[in-house]
Amino acid sequence: MPSLLKLILRRVALGLLTLLLVSALVFAATQALPGDTATAILGKSATPERVEVLRDRLGLDQSLTAQYFTWLGGIVRGDPGDSLAATGQSVGQLLGPRVVNSAALLVAAALISIPLSILVGSLSGRFRDGLFDSSVSMGSLALAALPEFVLGILLIMLLSVQALHVFPAVSRVNPQLSIWSQMNNLWLPALTLGLACFPYIVRMLRGSMIEVFESDYVQMARLKGMRERIVLQRHALPNAIIPVIQVIALNLAWLAGGVVVVEYLFNYPGIGSALVGAVSNRDVPMIQAIVLLIAALYVVLNLTADILTILISPRLRTGLQ
Amino acid sequence: MSDQQGRSSFDLGGLGEIANSKRVSRRQVLQGAAAVGALAALGPFASACGGDEATTSASPSAAAPKQGGHIRTAVTGGDTADILDIHATYIDSGSKTILVWDALLGWDHEAKLQMKLAESYEANADATAHTVRLKPDLTFHDGSPVTADAVVYSFQRILDPKTAALGAESLASLKPSGIKKVDDLTVTFTLEQPDAIFFEALAYYANGIVPVGFTTPDGAKGAIGTGPWKPISYDPGQQTEFEANRDYWGVGPYADKVTMIEFIDPTAKLNALLGGTVDHLADLDTAQVTVVESTTGLKLLEAKGGSWDPFTMLCDKKPFDDVRVRQAFRLIVDRPQMIEQAKGGFSWVGNDMWAPYDPGYPQDLPQRVQDLEQAKSLLKQAGYDNDLNIVLYCSTATGASDPEAAQVFAEQAKGAGVTVKVNKVDPDVYWDTGNYGSYPFAMSMWGTRNYLAQCRQTQFPTSPYYETRWKDDEWDKIYQEAVVTVDEAKRNELIGECQKIDYERGGHIIYQFGVVLDAYSDKLAGLPPDTFGSGSATRQSYNEFYFV
Repeated sequence: MPSLLKLILRRVALGLLTLLLVSALVFAATQALPGDTATAILGKSATPERVEVLRDRLGLDQSLTAQYFTWLGGIVRGDPGDSLAATGQSVGQLLGPRVVNSAALLVAAALISIPLSILVGSLSGRFRDGLFDSSVSMGSLALAALPEFVLGILLIMLLSVQALHVFPAVSRVNPQLSIWSQMNNLWLPALTLGLACFPYIVRMLRGSMIEVFESDYVQMARLKGMRERIVLQRHALPNAIIPVIQVIALNLAWLAGGVVVVEYLFNYPGIGSALVGAVSNRDVPMIQAIVLLIAALYVVLNLTADILTILISPRLRTGLQ
Repeated sequence: MSDQQGRSSFDLGGLGEIANSKRVSRRQVLQGAAAVGALAALGPFASACGGDEATTSASPSAAAPKQGGHIRTAVTGGDTADILDIHATYIDSGSKTILVWDALLGWDHEAKLQMKLAESYEANADATAHTVRLKPDLTFHDGSPVTADAVVYSFQRILDPKTAALGAESLASLKPSGIKKVDDLTVTFTLEQPDAIFFEALAYYANGIVPVGFTTPDGAKGAIGTGPWKPISYDPGQQTEFEANRDYWGVGPYADKVTMIEFIDPTAKLNALLGGTVDHLADLDTAQVTVVESTTGLKLLEAKGGSWDPFTMLCDKKPFDDVRVRQAFRLIVDRPQMIEQAKGGFSWVGNDMWAPYDPGYPQDLPQRVQDLEQAKSLLKQAGYDNDLNIVLYCSTATGASDPEAAQVFAEQAKGAGVTVKVNKVDPDVYWDTGNYGSYPFAMSMWGTRNYLAQCRQTQFPTSPYYETRWKDDEWDKIYQEAVVTVDEAKRNELIGECQKIDYERGGHIIYQFGVVLDAYSDKLAGLPPDTFGSGSATRQSYNEFYFV
């Protein structure tokens, strides 16, 4: 579909423009904070001499615009530069494992929440106002109301420390091994995050299903004598899922940003805590790299959601042509 | 013969006060202290203080320590900016560097000066030349011998401005030309100015000894020292793995491996211990003590340290330029009550003098207690009649519970007719110029240090942390004499006289000294309580831990 391709290309171009703007804004914001990497690292023991030595070593004596464009030039060539705080290490080296960790966590959380919430949401919508629907409603409202770290602590108590001892309480992620060989560490934080996303998808799908069940074409299908399961699968669900795709995309983008609170609670080395640490150290290359990554993910996820919506919805598909 | 008043002051960054901070800020870690004790026995002093019970001993019986095992320990940390280099410009979280490197001298668990790599130390009569003789047959982790060349190289590296080493300030009276190798095992340090307590700089852990040609390691590669642990892998902000140095000159190590895991969040740290992910937790939050006590299989270690969180009064302007106001403020504090409310009871009472482990600390001065009547009377003499209003600046930057202590002070001050408004300052800006150091009435934090060394930090206009702007000519004379007195007994007498003046008319209110807590699984034993007082109840003495 050439017009779909044109759409994608246009969106990608706009996305790149967004990333450029974001990088400039974040750079400016970081510079506006008091202090720089040298003073941040030295803290109270910052004597003028030590600060000068450190600044010189880190190249912080260049002008701001020069620093920004040096960095930008590097990015365009695919080199995100070296970390200011962790001297001698490149941003790629430091971020690589963290990105993998966060990606693994995102995939695990998505695997836990998406299938489950689609199932529960559709059943909830199908059998609305029944016992199942009411309990799901209450349960998901409670989950939505709980802050993530409270949820995390509850899960730790239930599954790790007090009642059962199924999972380790803390992600003892050994940085020397890859995350795939230590999957045991993933499940509690993934469960916490998955459950945090769960209510939104469920409620959206439920509402959407109810609306779809009242629609003309579903009435038509029923009057034609189709079995309820076919009505659900072939007519109701594909249409009901469209707004849900958007919600899922938003939730995934939230997960991709690295939920810092959960990372702290489980001591999970992801990009959320890396970003907080980088800001604390005024480590500009790290901050820029992480922010760009998250912004890019937002762009990609939104784009994917839109494309999926177009593909699933026949009306939009024809409209495009 | 004047002393290098502020110039030789050194920031004994050290195993900072990281107690119950969610996020360890670089400032908090650096504001800790090195243990600077002296040659006094701790015993009689501990009971004289009348505070908490003496530190609990870890091992109940003299079971011969078993070899082997893997110690997993949880510390507060998480900063990726850490470097595994003993001469780094700032100290790393969890102080991994002291596991790997040793200085020539040091402080033992009772704050007594001890010989580490050195076999002997002596100063000449006018305290300008200090000679150290190394123990024979010492080796680095790579097997090379520890010689005078290594000592000379180490100190040259520390003094090199390009290194920007933390220990450089402590050696301000030493020039590179003053470091001389006498023979293979002997080095003499000749100072520009006489300094009777130069041994403090030699005992400062940041002045560790490295091999000739040592440069900043790449992760764990090249991190070669003389300490009980050799680093195998280094992931700053996350974890560090060490293996035992079987040729260590000191006690142990008994275990085979140590893995130090860093945590940003104290809840996560505790969960790691509760869940069995770690065997030992350094620096427990006082709020978590009940959890540890009610869990079977876990034990608590209390170490009575010398760290202090004082109130500071600026003595060069109203109202604190009047000594009667300062004395009145010291009488306002109900010390046991403040300890109970602000520190959860985990501190022992202070008497407005620092350096409790210094042999010169005067034991005979009466413990100050709250006396609101006397305080009111002093204030009246100074011209205030229930109309003294003052702002007290505090922050979690000096200690997680210091804002609480400030509130307690404000409450107690009402009884003396003083109105205190507490202003809680953001920790990120507390140490900025114009704030700390300029606030008329504020709070600060210090680790364990000996008296004279601590004075260099705060008592002179040239000091890095001139936090009370206090000046006293009588005190000054005695101090100048003390810093060039090589004879210990005489020097201690002079120190006692100085401290008496602090007690009578100083600018600090010192109501407590800290107690550090560690929690550990009962699979471990041998943990030694240490007077260092910050960040770890044992000062990371993993070489003494063993599994039962």
